[in-house]
Amino acid sequence: MMRDLAKLRASVVKEARILLRDRQALILFFTMPVLFVLILSLSLRDVFGDRPGATFPVLVVAEDQAEVGRGIVATFRANPHIRLALAERASEAQARQWLIDGHYRFVVLVPAGATLQAKRRLGEIMAEVPADLRLEQPVAVRVLADPSLRSDYRKVLEGSLDLALHGIEMKLGREQLEQTLRVTQGAHFTGLPDMDQGRVFQPVHGETVTKRGGGPTPTSVQQNAPAWTLLAMFFLTVPLSVAFIKEREQGSLFRLQTMTVPAWVVLGGKAVPYFVINQIQMISVLAVSVHVLPLLGGDPLGLGNAPLALLLMGASASLAAIGFGIAVAVYARTTEQAAGFSSATVMIMGALGGILVPKAVMLPIMQELAVISPLSWGLDGFLDIFVRGGGVDDVLPEALALLAFSAFCHAIAIQRYRRRV
Amino acid sequence: MTSTASPSPVPQSDVRAGTPAIELKGLSKSFPGGRAPALDGVDLSVPRGGIFGILGPNGAGKTTLMSILGGLILPSSGSVRIDGHDVLTEARHIRHILGLVPQEPAIYPTLTARENLDFFGRMQGLSGAYLESRIQACLELVEMTGEADQRVEQFSGGYKRRLNMVIGLMHEPEILILDEPTVAIDPHSRALIHHRLRELNAAGISILISTHYMEEAEMLCDEIAIIDHGRLMVQGLVPDLLAQRRDEAIELQFFGEPGAGLARALETIPGVQRAEQAGCRVRVFSDRPEQVIAPIMQRVQAEAPTLRSLVFGRASLEQVFLSLTGDRGAPR
Ligand SMILES: Nc1ncnc2c1ncn2[C@@H]1O[C@H](COP(=O)(O)OP(=O)(O)OP(=O)(O)O)[C@@H](O)[C@H]1O
Ligand SMILES: [Mg+2]
Repeated sequence: MMRDLAKLRASVVKEARILLRDRQALILFFTMPVLFVLILSLSLRDVFGDRPGATFPVLVVAEDQAEVGRGIVATFRANPHIRLALAERASEAQARQWLIDGHYRFVVLVPAGATLQAKRRLGEIMAEVPADLRLEQPVAVRVLADPSLRSDYRKVLEGSLDLALHGIEMKLGREQLEQTLRVTQGAHFTGLPDMDQGRVFQPVHGETVTKRGGGPTPTSVQQNAPAWTLLAMFFLTVPLSVAFIKEREQGSLFRLQTMTVPAWVVLGGKAVPYFVINQIQMISVLAVSVHVLPLLGGDPLGLGNAPLALLLMGASASLAAIGFGIAVAVYARTTEQAAGFSSATVMIMGALGGILVPKAVMLPIMQELAVISPLSWGLDGFLDIFVRGGGVDDVLPEALALLAFSAFCHAIAIQRYRRRV
Repeated sequence: MTSTASPSPVPQSDVRAGTPAIELKGLSKSFPGGRAPALDGVDLSVPRGGIFGILGPNGAGKTTLMSILGGLILPSSGSVRIDGHDVLTEARHIRHILGLVPQEPAIYPTLTARENLDFFGRMQGLSGAYLESRIQACLELVEMTGEADQRVEQFSGGYKRRLNMVIGLMHEPEILILDEPTVAIDPHSRALIHHRLRELNAAGISILISTHYMEEAEMLCDEIAIIDHGRLMVQGLVPDLLAQRRDEAIELQFFGEPGAGLARALETIPGVQRAEQAGCRVRVFSDRPEQVIAPIMQRVQAEAPTLRSLVFGRASLEQVFLSLTGDRGAPR
């Protein structure tokens, strides 16, 4: 065993030497993913998001026709970037469907009786009824949003709704105050109630309506950084398998087979240097997304708050990629076969797995199909961390799936490597 | 791993002294999809301590045979014993005492000669000062100390072959198998390799070498086997094989073509049965060649252009080889 470990070390040193002498390839390994992320994160914003000056179809379902409903409609009508559509009556399900079908990008649902509810709520606040004794709930004006709506535009829309609600609250409050003052002639006026004790309206909190429903959508960089890291990692299967087959063609692999060198030493000697390259690829993409992208005017990437989960995902994705590369190398006859097969397969797995096109914009059936792609497992894991703030527990299923894939690939590779005709 | 500078010249035990270095019994190999078997019932016994040559034309099965010895491919049937150990069931023992030099250089082109030796040495389990001393010894053996730190891709074909050979010697094997080690190299490199092989053999290493250079086998080997179409045609000591054949023809070569009259003139000599001319060559057949040489020279001086060479009585392995494998001339 100690002797085999010494052999593994020598294999790793040998492979690292060969790799380090191929400068062009190394430069390619590291610049490719970084450039992809920079270019695509900056340019895809316009594809998935919206251009300045465009107008958005916005629907306001105003089941309330009084001050609240009218106020919201007036606010949106005043915005020149909005093509406003109005409905007096529509079920929430209907509104969701319109959004999914792409008729509207943003829907505001004003419930029936909103004005009445707001006034009663306000009355309780003005009468300084303690919070736990109030009968009326804050009015819930709901917002549904298309996932592909650019996040800054969406924030503007949500912000203007928020502002409208504030305005309505102020107006209703003033009216009520005036009325009270008129009735009591100011006799009992003890000062304005503290409005912050309970809002009249629930805070505006947009819900993203995806086809499968639920979950926030990643921003462009949240999607691109892990996507291109994964693609770069898996693309390393091309040089990995080519290097392996070259070794076979040069006969050095056969020479090793005439010596007492276990298969895991030969394959491990390949895996370790490529694993290190994979990790450097990931670190450089993340570093660029965090630090360089904002300088170029893009959204910076937030790394979430689970570095351990990030390490776990990086390691398991890399092991999956390496296992795949080694399996291809052992089964392919020629370097052309290996390069052609692995690059085509990686592209297909990438397309299926939501790497080239985000899953959120894929047809539902394709979203289901994405499950078969290891790149999709990797991407889901990273998105758990970046978008949903997940930790090790959350990415464990994805990481285990990748590790199982890696183990399977290595097992069939070793079995085939040992085979003699 | 022993750490002696060279293997002991004497076999280590009486039991082993009796066992051949390599013994094949009924060895056959068919490749999947191959039309004819690459090896077909080969029985061969390679004695310890000699240089044994395997001769055969292209595609005869030499590389297949050696690959089976190295454990790279499995025999279809038959048994293979090296140093008395079965290649299939006792591979571990064999790998330590066997050195295999493949036909095509099996080295890493972007590594230096030293790095290649270092890597393959470590893969054989060598380390530390012993590894260093073996690297140095091997570089000296093939006169490559000056090129040790150059990348292999910059080497000429001959240097690649030298390095290829010496990698098989890193772990000081007791039995060395070389598959056509002198193909496509210049006479100097070839002479060096021959010289080193004789030295190694003198130090007690049993050598099995394949070649299709007849002079090489004649000069280098104690014993040879000729295989063709995967079958063993003959096995024997070189002098014995040579004694079986003696060419009865006297061959004359000229600078320029002699006139047609020469052959007819030579046929008039008593004791000459026949004379054939083909281009610049004339072959004279006689049952008493020693007695007709002098009269032949007289006629030649009288009639023909300048004589370039006269060969007589040289039985060669080439003739043995050609007569056994059939003078096909054209490739299979
Ligand atoms: N991997 C293989 N698959 C199928 N057939 C093979 C394979 N290797 C060798 N052969 C066939 O086996 C026969 C013997 O080949 P081998 O390489 O042993 O010949 P050789 O004597 O070494 O020839 P050379 O002098 O050209 O090196 C040939 O007919 C060859 O086509
Ligand atoms: Mg051969």
